[in-house]
Formats: sequence, structure tokens, C-alpha cells
Amino acid sequence: MMMRGDKTQADVSSSDGQSSITAMAPPPEQPATSNTRRLIILSFWLVVACLGLPHWIWTTSIHRSDLPLESMNDWAEGKSCQPHYPLNIRLHSQSHDSARDAIVAARTETILNSLTDFQLYRFHVAAGNNTVSDVPTQDDVLVVELKQPSKADHVEAKLQSWVPVLDIVHADDDVERLAEFISEQVRSVFADEAKSLSYILGNTPFATGKEAIISPEDRKILEARTTRAFKYASALHLTFSLFTSSATPSAWDIEEALEQYITPLLGPFSAITKFTVDTQVQLQASFSPSIEGPTFDAATGQWKLDNSDLGGFINAAEWPLSPSIGSGPTINFVLYVPSAQQSPLVIAETGGSSWLIPQWGGVQILNSQHLSGRLSAEDLRPIMLTFADQLTSLLGFPQSPPSLSLRISSLTRERATSLIMSASSTLGALSRLTLKLKSIAIPDTVAKSVDETINRLNQACQDLNQGRFSRALQNARIAEDEAEQAFFEPSMVGQVYFPDEHRVAVYVPLLGPMAVPLVMAGAKELIAWVKYLKSPKTKTA
Amino acid sequence: MRIAALLALPAWLASTVHASPPTQPYDEQLHLAPLPGGNLYAGFSFTATTPLTSYDEQHFRYFPRALGQILQYTHTKELHLRFARGRWDDESWGTRPRGGRREGGTGVEIWAWVERGQEPDLLQERWSGLVNSLSGLFCASLNFIDGAKTSSPVVSFEPEGTHLNLDNLDLLHGTLPNEVVCTENLTPFLKLLPCKGKAGISSLLDGHKIFDANWQTMSIDVRPVCSAPDDCVLEIQQTVDIVLDIQRSMRPRDNPIPRPVPIEKIPCDETKEYNAEDTCYPKKFEGEMFWSLSKVFGQPIQGNCPLAEDGTKSYEIKLEVPFERTVEVITDGNISETKDQSERRYSVPEQQTLDISLPEQVLEVHTAPDARSPFDTPRLYASRQITGYGQQRGGMHAVLTNPQPYAQKIIYLESLPWFLRPFMHTLTFRASSGAEVRPEKMYYTPALDRKRGTQLELQVEVPAHSTVELSYEFEKAILRYTEYPPDANRGFDVPAAVVRVIANTTEADQDAYLRTTSLLLPLPTPDFSMPYNVIILTSTVIALGFGSIFNLLVRRFALASEVPPSPFATKLKAVRDRIRGLVQKAPAAKDGGETKDEKKVKGLNGKRTVDVNRKDL
Repeated sequence: MMMRGDKTQADVSSSDGQSSITAMAPPPEQPATSNTRRLIILSFWLVVACLGLPHWIWTTSIHRSDLPLESMNDWAEGKSCQPHYPLNIRLHSQSHDSARDAIVAARTETILNSLTDFQLYRFHVAAGNNTVSDVPTQDDVLVVELKQPSKADHVEAKLQSWVPVLDIVHADDDVERLAEFISEQVRSVFADEAKSLSYILGNTPFATGKEAIISPEDRKILEARTTRAFKYASALHLTFSLFTSSATPSAWDIEEALEQYITPLLGPFSAITKFTVDTQVQLQASFSPSIEGPTFDAATGQWKLDNSDLGGFINAAEWPLSPSIGSGPTINFVLYVPSAQQSPLVIAETGGSSWLIPQWGGVQILNSQHLSGRLSAEDLRPIMLTFADQLTSLLGFPQSPPSLSLRISSLTRERATSLIMSASSTLGALSRLTLKLKSIAIPDTVAKSVDETINRLNQACQDLNQGRFSRALQNARIAEDEAEQAFFEPSMVGQVYFPDEHRVAVYVPLLGPMAVPLVMAGAKELIAWVKYLKSPKTKTA
Repeated sequence: MRIAALLALPAWLASTVHASPPTQPYDEQLHLAPLPGGNLYAGFSFTATTPLTSYDEQHFRYFPRALGQILQYTHTKELHLRFARGRWDDESWGTRPRGGRREGGTGVEIWAWVERGQEPDLLQERWSGLVNSLSGLFCASLNFIDGAKTSSPVVSFEPEGTHLNLDNLDLLHGTLPNEVVCTENLTPFLKLLPCKGKAGISSLLDGHKIFDANWQTMSIDVRPVCSAPDDCVLEIQQTVDIVLDIQRSMRPRDNPIPRPVPIEKIPCDETKEYNAEDTCYPKKFEGEMFWSLSKVFGQPIQGNCPLAEDGTKSYEIKLEVPFERTVEVITDGNISETKDQSERRYSVPEQQTLDISLPEQVLEVHTAPDARSPFDTPRLYASRQITGYGQQRGGMHAVLTNPQPYAQKIIYLESLPWFLRPFMHTLTFRASSGAEVRPEKMYYTPALDRKRGTQLELQVEVPAHSTVELSYEFEKAILRYTEYPPDANRGFDVPAAVVRVIANTTEADQDAYLRTTSLLLPLPTPDFSMPYNVIILTSTVIALGFGSIFNLLVRRFALASEVPPSPFATKLKAVRDRIRGLVQKAPAAKDGGETKDEKKVKGLNGKRTVDVNRKDL
């Protein structure tokens, strides 16, 4: 090595000496000095490359946590979960013939599982013991109570309104006909829910092809239902407001009215959502200037409110309807009492006096001739019943079946499904975002939230497929919350506005002047080395 | 103006704050009194109550829901919020309205008793929740009240409400002296009222007039009031106190620019010797000025806010004028009216406008100056200044004057921002009488940089008819680059000092409060392009040093003559020669043949090459 280096140096200097005419050749360099020089340059470059550059990159780089992109995309594409809904139905009968009951149960199960509309469901019908237990166990979605008719040929099916029990009065000896009758009744109970689930799943990555086909009319109804309803939240605030355009009435017996008409409705529903209720009275409420206002119709003697004005009826600028503090959305119920001069006030097209504002709340106008300063609970009765009705549609209750507990359990399944899908699509959006914006920071909290989301989604999907619907809803809700939290992480946004160009620009005054001598010296040595490598070849040639 | 006559009204002190809970769920009062110097004081007060039980169940009637929910969510049991602007001129206007208990320092001031909770950080969390929510509700920058702007005074404030578990409550106090109070704060304030500024006396509250006032303060006070342990109501009192310049606020709205009065209309002082047709010395205005509600506030009162439940007639308006003063009441509705020596009371008619008009009038002097009550002079005067010069040091100087014939105990509260570092050893007191003044009690919390401001509470006795001067020195901190506001050269606001005059059992039954004006503190401000200059300069220096050391290490040193010409230089020379050859061809063609000059040039070029190479080394 030493020898070779020495030779090169000599060669170069001799060739230079020949080309130059005026300059004297410098004395040949000591091999040791030139080696030291090379070592110096090499060590400088090593420090720059091994210490400086990584350090610079490390200190100016944006922290990006690793995200499980693959499983995120799997969820977004619906590969990770294929929801189906096992429904356990118990058959009770008073017949003391357990063998026959078992046959009826098995036959009913077969019929139900073969229905084309119900491919999403997997029915499991079991014949219960003969002792009738009033409380259905947690696993059973529906209990079918077979009863002997009091008179012959009396056939009746009736749902109990507070418990998921279907009473069937049927005296048919034929097992097949009985099973058909039962399955027909069960089908009518779940028909709407099946449509709704198919609507939720259809045209999404989660669709499995098992969805029922929905007619355009049904689709319209389902669309209206979903646009009206609030998204599922674990806490909801209800605000009941009395707005008076003058100063009377300035009080209402709202506590009593709520106790009578709203609390019974919230009771069963509170298993999946917590409610807080507050009320307020606001006087001197005027219409917003953006609407035309009611016009007097002399023919009917009524003040008419145009349909187009209903959307702007709520005077958002002046009426204090700010959302309640605390997590969860607020549902507003507004009772408006027009002034005596503008009464009665009705909607022009329908003549009605109440309407619903999707995902916001309900509005009612109280037209009454004899208004005292205080609205009694009796005055509030029709109003509260309308509010209760509006509340059910704002919560997204299906219109059927008539049993409240069955409606809540259908709602549980629908909400769990839609939450799983919404959380999955949020994951997909997040993964696309991180791939698209290379310079966006991903804090550890995001990675943590994503992990938690995926974990909860897995559990929710498992729960759903094993028939634990309320647990599935809980897990799906946590998954949705975590996914939203990850997506809307505030610290991710700021970094977008600090591109790489800025990072380099700040350091140019330092890096530029330092790089020039380093590069020049390095290049010189490199050229010399290349020349040396070439020179033996030329010699041998 | 008959200053004496106006100040002779003991009604100033009759404003009771610690009154028993009102029987009405809603009550509103307007207090009008002309002040010397052509000013008009108008004090609006709106009090609403709600039973504590329905408040806890979130049934709101006259208590605003938006505020109630904030208080519940942050476990705030008593709240005092102030928005203030201007200065109360107590030298000529006398005692402050409501004993100064419903006014704040310039900007925004808030203090509240908040439930402490079990966990250590809970209190701070609730406090920041409170200021942030109120910031949204009132469109004010209250959210900037962070730990560094929060203090917990020990003796300056006492709860006004009845609290069953006062031990669990902590008092937190914050100020924003640089907040400019404006219409956007008044609008949410009016929204909290049951009648929303559309009926009742609140219909007079127009942002254009309120914020044109010489002095104005808005307050919101929430406190629980219990007549029995299980019979509690929550009371919210909202007040707006303003002092309007009558002449200025009566400017017509369509012609608001003040214009000179034609000379024919100016009453001239004809006693002046130079008085002539073209020279006029304006006569001093004598007597009482003309004013009316509709002119001063822009519109008359729009009917009453009928919320009294038992139908008792109340007098909402109190007008303090001498008995002889003519007052015209213009309304189509029925009103009731009482009149006595110094004040008149009026009720507001239902759904009919009400205007009160006082014509220009000259009153007989009927009150001798010595007939003043001892209370028309304020209990205490207080002022505060920053002394000293330069960028590093300064001093604070407060003057407390007791005009009363008896000694008064006061508590002086100073909440200083952290970047003002007082030296407590320089704290001195000096009484005008020469008597030695010593603080009876002193509570002092030193500042922590960026975390906590200085809090100083002093209990001092100010002797009768004397002045106590309080002074200390301080140092100005240098802030970090990002801590400067965009208008750094304007200066930094130092919040007002709060002076609590402790009730003297023999002379006055209530504590009075007064606040000094807030101060502007100039801090050393850097040149804000400095960081970029520093980056460039240090980078250049480092690069220079690096370059020379690196070159010293790797370059080979040789004699100039030994240096081979660099290939670049030889190439350059060849190109130049060629160009020169081309240029000189033309003269050569004329002269014919090569000249000696050319050789000379060549030789010079050779020398130059060496020079170039030397430089290259």
C-alpha cells in the first residue's frame, strides 16, 4: 500500500513537471505526509457521514410512529370482519310434550335459516323447559310463548311491549303448520331489522352478498331514518326549552311533565346510553331576520309559516341553545309560544305545528287561547307526547316491531354494526392520510389509539358473531372513539406547514461554507486516486 | 353644577349588597344621578334567583342555562366576573357606586370559589375549565388566565354567599388588564337576562352608548343565599354601571361629528372688557343641563319586563335630583311615581315606552357646603405609579389617602406578573403625618418564572386625614423571544391593585373596595429579527473557522514558483490567448508580422498564472 501510494505521487509530479514550463517542480512529497492528509480527509468525511448527517436528520426529523397499516387497510376493506348475527330464540310451551317441542323448534329453525331475506342471521331455536320463566335469559333475543287457545281455531300472535316475548296462541296439531306459523311471526318481527342491517352493510366493503335486496321505497325510508337519527353516543343531553315571544308564559311544570312522559321512555334505553336532562325558559324570543316570518291568512284566520322558513325558524344567533357541556351531543326540544297577535301559528302546507330537525331536535308551536303565566303539566301532556315521539326517531328507533325491548335490541345490533364500519373507515382514512402526507408527524398516542381501535374492533366483531350484542356495542363505541381521537389528533396538523425545504434553508448558511472545502479536498484526493488506478493499466498497455 | 347638592345624597351608600334574599325571582333596578362636570351616572342592576334544588336538577328559569351549566360542570360555588373600562373620578364624583363592590380593574377580572376536590390537580383543571368556558360565553380572552395570572388572595376577598362547606372551597383570582371590553362582551351579557335587552330597563343598554362612557363596569355575581339551611336559592346579579358625558352621548346619531357652534348661538360673557361684536368669551354654563333618557341612551325604555309573580308594583327607576328640579315623564301607559326631597322613583309601564326628560333649569342654591354628609367624600383615595427609568430597574409607588376623620384599616392586594420582580426588602411606608406606619399583616407569595406571579397582601392602618405612601423597587425580567406579544413595544399591563377598606363598626357597616388604574410597564424588547441574524452570523463564523483549520490540515505548502499551474488556469489561459489572437489578427494583417509586444504579453501572462496558483493554495 505504502509503495503504491508513493509511486502514484511520483508519477503525478513527474507528469506535471513535464507539462509545466515556467514552474519548478515542487520537491517530492513524503509518503507519510500524503497518507496523513488522506487519513485526515477520510476522518472528516467519516465524522460528517457517520455522526453529523445522522444527527442532523435525527434532530430535525418528524416523529412518525409505526402504524399497523396492513391491518388498518384490512379493516377498511372489510377483510377482517364478516358480521353475521346469531339469534337465539327460545320456545316455551305448555304442552308438556318436550319431544314435540323439540321437533317444532328444529323445524322452525330450518325454515327461518332458509329464508332468503334473513341470510345475515343465523337462527338457533331451542325448546325451553316447561316451567315458564318470565325473565328471558341474556342470550335469548326472543322468547316464543306457545299457548293453548281458549276456544278452538283461535289463532293469535302478540308481542309483549316491555319484554321480548312473543305470545302465540295456536292449537294446531300439525307440527309443520305450527312451525311455519311461528317462523312467519318471527320473520315479521325481524323483517324491518333485516332490511335495515342490509341497508347498512350493502354497498360497503363489509357487504358479503348475503344482504337482502331492498326496494327503492324501503331504501328511502331507511335513508330518512338514518339521516334523522343522532350518531350513537354513550352520553346524550336532552334540553327542553320554552321560548315565548312575549313575556308569558314564563314558567312551566316541566319537572312533573318529564317525570310522567319522558323518563319512562329513557328508562329502558339507558342501558346503552346515559341521559342528562336540562330545561330552560326563554322570554322575548324573536324570529331570526333570515326568515320571512309568518303571514296572516285571512281565510282561515291563521298565521302561516312557510315550509322554507322551518329550517331557519330556530334563531341560532339569539336563542341560547348552545350544546351542553360534557361529552356527547345535545338533543334540543323547543316549545315556542307565539305572541297573542300572531296566534294561531301553523305550518302553511300541512297545518301542523310541530316538526323535526334532523340530528338536532324537535320544534313545536303551542297555540292556545287561554294561556296563563304558567303551563301546567296537563297543558304539556300533548306536547310531551310529541316530544317523546320525536325523541324516538332522533335516537334512530326502528318503527317496528311494537315491542320496545325488541326495538332497543335491534337498535343495539344496528348501531354496533354501523359503529364498526365507521371506525373501520376512519382507520382506512388515517392510513391513506399517513401515506399521502410524508411529512406529517405521527405521535405515539395515535399509534396507541390505532392499536386500541383494532383491538376493540376485533372484540366487537367477535362479540357480534357470538351473539353478545350489547358488549359488541360497547366495544364498537370505544373503537369509534379511539379511531376519531387518532384521526383528529391536534399535534398532527401543525407539522404539515413545516416542509423539508424550510429545514434545509435554515441550515444553508452553515452547511454551504462547510461543505465546499470538504467536497473540494475529497474530490481532489478522489481524482488522484482514480488517476493512480488508471496509471498501471496505461503502463502495462 | 351644584356639586354639594349632588353629593349630599346619602343614597350612594344605601346600595346594599348583603341584603336578605329578594322575595321576587327577578328584579331590576335603574339608578340615575347627574354628576358634576356634565356627567350622568346610570346604574343598572338585574337580580334573578332560582331555588338551589332546581338548579341542581338543571331546570333553569330565570337563571341562564349557559352559565349555570358552566358553573355546575366546573364545581364553582360562587362567581364574580367584571368587565371594566375607564376611571372613576372620585375627586369630583365622590363615593363609588355600590361601595366599589361591583366593579373591577381595567380589563377583565374574575374571582371564584371553586370546590377543591380530592385529587391535587383537580382544582387547576376546574379553574381552567371555568375560564375557558366563560371565555367562549362572553367572547373575552379569559382563556389566557393561566397559572401565571392566577392568584389566591387570603384576606382581600370574602365569600358573599352562604356556603355550608367553605373548607372545601378555594378562592382563585385572575385578571386580564389588557383586555379591551367592547360590544361583543355586552351582547352575551344581555343574552343572560330574561328580557334580553328587549323590554324593561335593559332596553336602554346599547353598545354604542355604553362603550362611549367615561367609565363603565359590567359585573356578574353568582352566589348561593340561604335563609335556612335547607332553603337556599342561587342568586345571579348582573350590573352595568356607567358614567356618561351627557353632551357627548346626546349627539344626534346621524350627525355624530362635533362641530363648532355658530358664534351667534354662543352666550358671551359681556362683562369682559374685550367683548365686542367679533370677540366673544363664552359664558360659563350655569344651572342644570337638559337631558332625557331617549336622547342619552338612544331610545326610551320599551315597556317593562313583567316577571313579578305576585303582581306587586315595584319602582324600577330611581332618579336622584333635587326636589325643585323639573322632571317630565313621557309615556302613554300608567306609571306610579313617588317623590321626596332628594330622589324620585318611577315604575315602568306595561308594553308602553317610557321617557324621562329633564329640561335646562337654574336652581336656587339651597344646600350649604358644610351640610354634606361625611360619606359623600370617598372612604379612601388610592393611586399607583411606576417610578424610575431605564430597562432594568423600576419602582412602584402607591399613595393611599384617608380623607375621613377616623383611622381606617385597609388591605392592599397586588398581583404582579412574574416578569416584574419586586424586592421586598425595599418595601417602605411613609405617612404624611410623620407617624410610623407598619403593616399589621403581610401575605407574600414570591413569583416563579412563567409559573406564578407575585402576590402581595398588606394590612395597613391609614390614620385619619393623612396619606400613606407605599413604595418598593423591582427588576424587569427579560422574556423569551416567543413570549413577547406582537405589540411588544407598547408595554406590558400590570393589573390594578385592589384596596379593601375594612368596615369600621362605628362609622360604616360594609367593606368598600377600590381599585387603582392598571399600569403600563415597558420591558426591554429585543430586535425581533435577531434570531435570524444570529443564525447567519454564527453559521458564517463557524464555517470560516472550520474552513481555515481544515485547509491548514489538508493543504500542502510549497513555494510559489514550485506550484504547478492548475489545469483550470492553463485552460483559461489558452482560451484567453485564442481570443487575443483573434482580436489582434486584424491589426496584424494591417502591420504584417508578429510584434515584440505580443511576446511581452505572453511573459506577463506566465507570471500571472503563478499568482493565480498561489492564490489557489
